[in-house]
Amino acid sequence: MAEFERHSYDVVVIGAGGAGLRAAIAAHDAGARTAIICKSLLGKAHTVMAEGGAAAAMGNLWPDDSWRVHFRDTMRGGKMLNNWRMAQLHAQEAPERVLELEEWGALFDRTPDGLISQRDFGGHRYARLAHVGDRTGLEMIRTLQQRAVALGIDVFMECTVTEVLTDDGAVAGAFGYWRESGRFIVFETPSIVLATGGIGKVYEVTSNSWEYTGDGHALGLRAGAPLINMEFVQFHPTGMVWPPSVRGILVTESVRGDGGVLKNSEGERFMFNYIPDFFKAETADTEEEADGWYDDKKNNRRPPELLPRDEVARAINSEIKAGRGSPHGGVFLDIASRRSPEFIQRRLPSMYHQFKELADVDITAEPMEIGPTCHYVMGGVEVDADTGASAVTGLYAAGEVSGGMHGSNRLGGNSLSDLLVFGRRAGLNAAYYAGRLSESRPQVSERDVTAAGKAALAPFSDAGRVDENPYTLQKDLQATMQRLVGIIRTREELTQALVELETLKERAKHIQVEGHRQYNPGWHLALDLANMLLVAECVATAALEREESRGGHTRDDFPLPSEDWGSKNLVLTEKDGVVSLKHQPLQTMPGELQQLFEEE
Amino acid sequence: MADSITLQVTRYRPEEESEPTIQEYDVPLGRQWSVLDGLNYVKDQIDGTLSFRWSCRMGICGSCGMTVNGEPKLTCGAFLTDYAPGPVRVEPLANFPVIRDLVVEIGDFIRKLPSVQPWIVREEERPVSEGEYLQTPEELDDYQQYSMCINCMLCYAACPVYGLDPEFMGPAAIALAQRYNLDSRDEGSRERLDVLIEHEGIWGCTFVGECTAVCPKGVDPAGAIQRYKLTAATETLKSFLLPRGAR
Repeated sequence: MAEFERHSYDVVVIGAGGAGLRAAIAAHDAGARTAIICKSLLGKAHTVMAEGGAAAAMGNLWPDDSWRVHFRDTMRGGKMLNNWRMAQLHAQEAPERVLELEEWGALFDRTPDGLISQRDFGGHRYARLAHVGDRTGLEMIRTLQQRAVALGIDVFMECTVTEVLTDDGAVAGAFGYWRESGRFIVFETPSIVLATGGIGKVYEVTSNSWEYTGDGHALGLRAGAPLINMEFVQFHPTGMVWPPSVRGILVTESVRGDGGVLKNSEGERFMFNYIPDFFKAETADTEEEADGWYDDKKNNRRPPELLPRDEVARAINSEIKAGRGSPHGGVFLDIASRRSPEFIQRRLPSMYHQFKELADVDITAEPMEIGPTCHYVMGGVEVDADTGASAVTGLYAAGEVSGGMHGSNRLGGNSLSDLLVFGRRAGLNAAYYAGRLSESRPQVSERDVTAAGKAALAPFSDAGRVDENPYTLQKDLQATMQRLVGIIRTREELTQALVELETLKERAKHIQVEGHRQYNPGWHLALDLANMLLVAECVATAALEREESRGGHTRDDFPLPSEDWGSKNLVLTEKDGVVSLKHQPLQTMPGELQQLFEEE
Repeated sequence: MADSITLQVTRYRPEEESEPTIQEYDVPLGRQWSVLDGLNYVKDQIDGTLSFRWSCRMGICGSCGMTVNGEPKLTCGAFLTDYAPGPVRVEPLANFPVIRDLVVEIGDFIRKLPSVQPWIVREEERPVSEGEYLQTPEELDDYQQYSMCINCMLCYAACPVYGLDPEFMGPAAIALAQRYNLDSRDEGSRERLDVLIEHEGIWGCTFVGECTAVCPKGVDPAGAIQRYKLTAATETLKSFLLPRGAR
């Protein structure tokens, strides 16, 4: 058998978005020989599309802000299902991580005094998001990319990992292929940080790009690391709905943070009809009070348009279903009638251009048409809060691919800060672990390498009978998930979804791709599809089990949250292609943190 | 309006052909369909082996740059109706080696990046615990334009100097250097100067201005280079006149 290209490192980071880059920098700084593997070009990862900002209680605009308030907002936004320790570390460390970015050269919008400015976002009590206009992700990824390049960290671009290799239950390496040549590559390493992002491509309407096929979720699961919270998928309330070619593309929450409001076809500001009891005490119930809040947060409560994303997405969904939608099946997001053209162009330059160029709509003069779009998965690899370690020795996860931090629903702005805080922690701890191992590292077995190579080439082999096209299969998977495992779910539909997923899995065995191994997108998709099918099954399985509505999981047949379900997570494992599930009680929050919720 | 349009796509499959060839595909001429939508239609419906890069569909990742009817463009922001009735020529970006079909090798740019030190250089580093470096909104306005670069490589594809001399630092890298030089928090312009006054640095530029014309983000690399030449000339002169320590 042919000899494969081989490399040996202390730490291998899979994914080069915010979490992966931050993890690699931390591992490098801790003295580990570190490599980054990413499936697209460096600097193009999904983080680049993030718009709004990074949430950090710096208190630059509102001195009353503190990590305790941020922690409380995060937990309440996640409907108390969050891993409390992650939410605490996140709130405590986010300001320092933002300042560190600045130290490395990031620019931020400023207050007149020269401090980093902060903006309002849904679910945050104070203006808290450090940002650059509406292109914060671009600045963050540029800064981290340049830092990583400057440190001389090895980067394997356009390289996809298909298997995490283990030795007696501990990480031994990774197997992958170069997208360009199709040649295989083996990494020998005791420490892997998964930082592969999310799963949005299993849905039809999504703000996510082609990379988001649940690779890290599937790699972790197959290596033996359980996933938690997979039933919680965030549908961002405001995606573009028109024209069809841009359907799903994100419209930043900053539009609402900066004064934009939602209206139905009758011109009604409908969010006032959808304030849940849980948030009544802190939400304005008149337009007058809501409008007063932007300038005077002490004497007014926040507008209902800035409720957490799950609430707003459900409300928009209901308006459309009730026949009060916009011409192309969304609702209206109006900032034109509320702010001056100059203000809009200065604060939301990318949105202005996006609508002008892609939809021929001038957002300074007319309302946008928007609707919910799959944006983020709260679920992911279960990790230790302090170290990012999964259940598999040597396997770490950070960012969207990890689970727990955001509970059942993530607040806007908490993702970019999550990447920095937990990317750093996972990278450091991966390096420490590799350092402690010294000589006795787990060994990559040749049998596993051969098997991984054979599995990767399966789509080329003639599987007989019917040949399946990977693109058709992907479309059918997306249609199933959109139709049966979307924003509003029922037992019947979820059961049907699992039946259809079984059929799709069967069809996937007969995928046949044409051409050669060199830069062959059909082959790449065929390999990604295996991951997508596995994570789709996890989402549907957990969604069927959880018989309540909470955050990013709404059951029409169980419309309310239940106290019993509020005290546990669903944990998913996989063995020989079979997904199993068990209930697991939440970790108890210490008394001093409990108090923050009792003061209400 | 016709309901379809022809894409003339450059194909190059190094394992089976020594020269690129042109292949024609008819794609639906949907209102507001971008060239990228057309290419994805080809890949999903007609020929699953067509290779090209793309990611965000919203003009921020800078992956989908190609030559459309002779001009470097982000294909997610180039609309088929603007080229009707067609045909539309789609080629890989010029000035880069082609890997396959519409995919080009851009490692050269990644290798050049660190040489301009694209980060804040301080004579004395301050610990993070002391908070941020102060910077007013006006100071930010001074350089913000140059920070909009999405590394899409359109300016390199348009630059005749880079086409002739691949050693030339190139528009985006110089604009990036200028982004830090003009940043009020930075003290590294002297170190960057030493890199940029090499002949492959700013003096290579003959001010054709194509880079600024094709930039999808209004970064204006040509302006950055011009502005920098002035600084460099003054600084170089000073370095002759003053003893080294006084620079």
